[in-house]
Amino acid sequence: MTWSIGVDAGGTFTDFFARETVTGRVVRHKRPSTPDDPSRAILDGLEELAAKGGIDLGQVDRLGHGTTVGTNALIQRRGGRVAMITTKGFRDLLEIGRQTRPHMFDLQRDAPPPVVPRERRFELAERVTATGAVLTAPIEADIDALVEMVHDSGAEAVAVCFLFSFLNPEHERRVGAAVEAALPDVQVSLSSAVRPEFREYERFTTTAINAYLQPVMDRYVSKLHTGLATRAPNAAVGINQSNGGLMAPETARRYPVRTALSGPAAGVVGAIHEAKVSGRPNVITIDVGGTSADMALIRNGAADISFERAVADFPIRLPMIDIHTIGAGGGSIAWFDRDGLLKVGPDSAGAQPGPACYGRGGTKPTVSDANLVLGRLGPELVDGGMMMDLAAARAALAPVAANLGITIERAAFGIIEIVTANMVRAIRTISIERGYDPRAFSLMPFGGAGPLHAREIAIALSMREILVPGAPGVLCAEGLLVADQKEDFVRSRRLALTEPAMPQLLADAAALLDEADDWFRTEAITQPRRALEMALDCRYVGQNFELRVPLACGPTLTASALPPLDQIKAGFFAAHRTAYGYATEAEPVEAINLRLTALGRAEMAREAPPGDATATPEPKNHRQVWFTADQPMNTPIYRRCDLVRGTVITGPAIVDQLDATTPIHPSDIATVDPAGNLLIEMRT
Amino acid sequence: MTAIDPIEIEILRNAFGSITDETFASLTKSAFSTNIKERKDHSTAIVDARGHLIAQTMASPIHIASMTGLMATMMARHAGPDGSFPDVEPGDIFIANDPHVAGGTHLPDVNMATPIFHDGRIRAFVCNIAHHADIGGMVPGSMAGGMKEIFQEGLRIPLIRLFRAGELQQDIFDLLLLNVRVPIERRGDYNAQIAACNLGARRLTDVIAAYGIAKIETAFDEILSRTEARMRASVAALPDGTYRFDDVMDDDGLGTTNIPIQLAVTVTGDRILFDFTGTSPQVTGNINVTMNATVAACVFGLQAMVDPDCPNNQGVIDVAEVSAPKGSILNAVFPAPVAARLHTCQRVVDVVIGALAPALPDRAIGASNGANTTAVFSGTDPRTGLDYVYLETLGGGHGARATKDGKDGVQVSLTNTSNLPVEAIEMEYPLMVEEYGLIPDSGGAGKWRGGMGLRRVVSPVGHDCDFNGAGERFVNQPWGIFGGKPGGTGRFAIQCPDGSEQPLETKPSGARIGPADRVIVETPGAGGYGDPAQRAAADIARDREAGKISAIFMAAHYPAEKS
Repeated sequence: MTWSIGVDAGGTFTDFFARETVTGRVVRHKRPSTPDDPSRAILDGLEELAAKGGIDLGQVDRLGHGTTVGTNALIQRRGGRVAMITTKGFRDLLEIGRQTRPHMFDLQRDAPPPVVPRERRFELAERVTATGAVLTAPIEADIDALVEMVHDSGAEAVAVCFLFSFLNPEHERRVGAAVEAALPDVQVSLSSAVRPEFREYERFTTTAINAYLQPVMDRYVSKLHTGLATRAPNAAVGINQSNGGLMAPETARRYPVRTALSGPAAGVVGAIHEAKVSGRPNVITIDVGGTSADMALIRNGAADISFERAVADFPIRLPMIDIHTIGAGGGSIAWFDRDGLLKVGPDSAGAQPGPACYGRGGTKPTVSDANLVLGRLGPELVDGGMMMDLAAARAALAPVAANLGITIERAAFGIIEIVTANMVRAIRTISIERGYDPRAFSLMPFGGAGPLHAREIAIALSMREILVPGAPGVLCAEGLLVADQKEDFVRSRRLALTEPAMPQLLADAAALLDEADDWFRTEAITQPRRALEMALDCRYVGQNFELRVPLACGPTLTASALPPLDQIKAGFFAAHRTAYGYATEAEPVEAINLRLTALGRAEMAREAPPGDATATPEPKNHRQVWFTADQPMNTPIYRRCDLVRGTVITGPAIVDQLDATTPIHPSDIATVDPAGNLLIEMRT
Repeated sequence: MTAIDPIEIEILRNAFGSITDETFASLTKSAFSTNIKERKDHSTAIVDARGHLIAQTMASPIHIASMTGLMATMMARHAGPDGSFPDVEPGDIFIANDPHVAGGTHLPDVNMATPIFHDGRIRAFVCNIAHHADIGGMVPGSMAGGMKEIFQEGLRIPLIRLFRAGELQQDIFDLLLLNVRVPIERRGDYNAQIAACNLGARRLTDVIAAYGIAKIETAFDEILSRTEARMRASVAALPDGTYRFDDVMDDDGLGTTNIPIQLAVTVTGDRILFDFTGTSPQVTGNINVTMNATVAACVFGLQAMVDPDCPNNQGVIDVAEVSAPKGSILNAVFPAPVAARLHTCQRVVDVVIGALAPALPDRAIGASNGANTTAVFSGTDPRTGLDYVYLETLGGGHGARATKDGKDGVQVSLTNTSNLPVEAIEMEYPLMVEEYGLIPDSGGAGKWRGGMGLRRVVSPVGHDCDFNGAGERFVNQPWGIFGGKPGGTGRFAIQCPDGSEQPLETKPSGARIGPADRVIVETPGAGGYGDPAQRAAADIARDREAGKISAIFMAAHYPAEKS
């Protein structure tokens, strides 16, 4: 009996998803987080999980962990004290950024100040040119003087960021080595190691944030490591990163910025897994929590990768699952704008005080209050772990209804309609605006509040079916359990995409494959778990943004797998047609980044869901649910655990489970599919 | 009128915004030129049958001015007294760019509009505008200084039909393309605009079918009247009275200097009038502004001061009553050249903020860098033998606020375009950037310090190049407010190999730069807010430690502090 465990430590709850490697038996657990020290909820929760499922923690061989420690440190600006060493003439680059402001009309709103203030940004006389050649080599005495200045600044970490270091990292390495030799307690982030890619501002700021998070992540990982060493000594720990894969704790210590965007990625990994076992290669996911909704589009069983996203208003450039986020969730507050129109979000009641219906003193009307008033949420949550206060919800909604001169139920309906419109607009952005028709996709809602809103969203987008995963509230933890180990390698070099460039590309491919080989060995990943994917970012000469052209993939690759030039160019033209609607084959093309992704596949059995249904189960009770604003319907409430494979339910109905509620609207048909997921077909 | 509640209006507003977002994205994707595809120098909108702007997705408020200008021309030319359009058919696509006869603001911004019919009547238009990288005329790019009349600035397009009843008017298209440089690229951009018109028409037609025309038209009216009421409430909250402010433009690049802009803002109840009587007559150089752009700059200043989150539709525009003498630099008439109108529009925003400051001391800011500092390097790349043109507009200081310092080195007011990475410049062009940073002491002193200007030093690699530039606030400093001190001025100069500097004029053209020379571009800082004597000692010490102010500056402006 060996077990794999996924642990997702969120702001409110820490979720656990355990699976036995051979039988596929699953144990789930959910407990409150401990924000002052997140490792406590993890370690205590593991013991609770073990007791609940009869798991011997000594038999856990794999533990995938998603953490918000880095993200929160950045949002709350509680990272370490950082210094920066950069090319002479450019110390302000980190502060100028792209010289844009965040809001066109607002004279008071600024981009956040950089994590390294000007007095701790030091310059070194050194210069590499656009070809990677050294124009000015740094002199030793200057480096020594800088090391002294870093020491005097009291910095805990230092970011070393030079122009064109992605082409020639030698100067950064020399300075980094000098700092490490002289100041062993100071952590070092080199821009050529954190993100060796073209475009200095994005590279520098990503590196500075990495340095800023290093002291925080170092402390967290040490603490977690100590705690796990006694409880689950045989578990190989993987920390989730923004690309949806896991990395070793040592890697997380060196590159903590990779965790900063990892939160929503795990859910998408879990969604891809569940969609696959339900035979749905094309799904649009919507993960609705308390304050935000995350949307992603999955085609042919894979999500797109994007390379830039803002965290706490800082642009971060790293490979990451392409996720679109808006401020719409269960805690989103309804309010009247100055023109009298009703708005919902982006402000949220958060976890404290939470929606009025939580009975913790919240008085503002929220989406959850509206759902409770309409009977879509029941009188208790988390299997009775939390009682809902209907009177408080009605009181919170009453001013909205009074302002509009309508009933409280109609007002609640309006709040749902508006939050739905916001979500629909966001899904249009990731589908229709990118050339994909949502009608060709299934909608997969998850997160505590996702299934509550799925039906209205699907109708607005003319989507025909909704696939609700078996455990929508802990899909992130499941994603951590099924996630691959993953490492991205890159060579950034601008090359005219013509025959003379091919030897260089071959040499770069060989070098990247060597790096990947080292990584496989370090991580002890052997066949058949190894996988490699190679791609080239290309653009037309004169363009400023690149498109990714897949080159080759397989369990092993050699440089000779690089396709011939014609084939690479054909791939670029195809990608350009998809993205922009046209391609001109005569125009010159250039290559910017050669990328290699190495994967250590997670492999495990999956337990067959419990037996075939013979009859519709008995509802646990009935309640009044408003599916329209006109009148409620007496609606049966089913427990999700009573719905076995093959169960068919015709709406109206409500399916309740630990931390999620799924309404089945009148005449819709819900079926538990062979994989144990709930498939809702809409009859409108 | 059909009854509609605030919930339905909000949902329809979202649907309209979704349409302009989608047409904006479609234009980005299918355009050919980098200016549209990557700098996103375009905007899209929905307009009602009276020509009123309902919803937009925009790159610049000036674009919106140009679209509403086109619609005003449309109403004057094609609308009958009953509000119908007897000679407009489904599938017509109109095109226009001219500032003097078609409501445009400068020639490179080309507008298109197509009508949306329902039950045989026009109910709305969908519009878009794109900045074309060239529209013909004397110089590539159609934007350089030195042109004295509109004819030199490029092809003038009155309000005409590029499509009639869905049929492309090939003769007209051929004429448009013959008069511009790189016609293949221009054709691609026109096609992208046409596609965006058709997409917007399809989407709006779908929304009309889903909700019913009565509800849509009621929603149009409600959106406008609610926004107008919201803005009027903000105006009514201002104390009645007349607020005056003056400023001076450095020059027009063709010999006219110290060009006055005078404004009197009169607030009477919920009405607000911006009167520019006393402002300079139009000038020979191309910094003139046509009325629509002046209105857009006033609306921007008003909105930024009283309600930055207000929807930007006709309801806001209608509140601002703007008057500028015909033939003045802010209401320029034929044949004034207008290509560099943005410099002057930036100054109008400063003047509006300055005028309203006494009424809104908590919202007002010191003068920002008030320019659209432009630096253009051109020559022949010695590595390839190909010609290149590298153009960039640089930000500068943002005015100090009532509760905090001005932001350093940022785009302000009507422009918000990003810089090109240093690594992109050096890979793309035979140029080397030697320095890119903030200018110490350029932020005006005050209780809150003005933002700092930017300094960029560039040299050609292995060849001679030409430098053209356009600067403002190189002579007249960005003013401080409520006792705040003015910020630093900008400048252009050539640094010779021996380290000596040769100053250039504010709008230099064709300066020859050798490989051992460096071009110095410095943009203006911004004005401070409040008396420097009230600046917290900790803030002064922090600026000093960060090197944002020098010991000399500190002694001059904060004599009480020890350095």
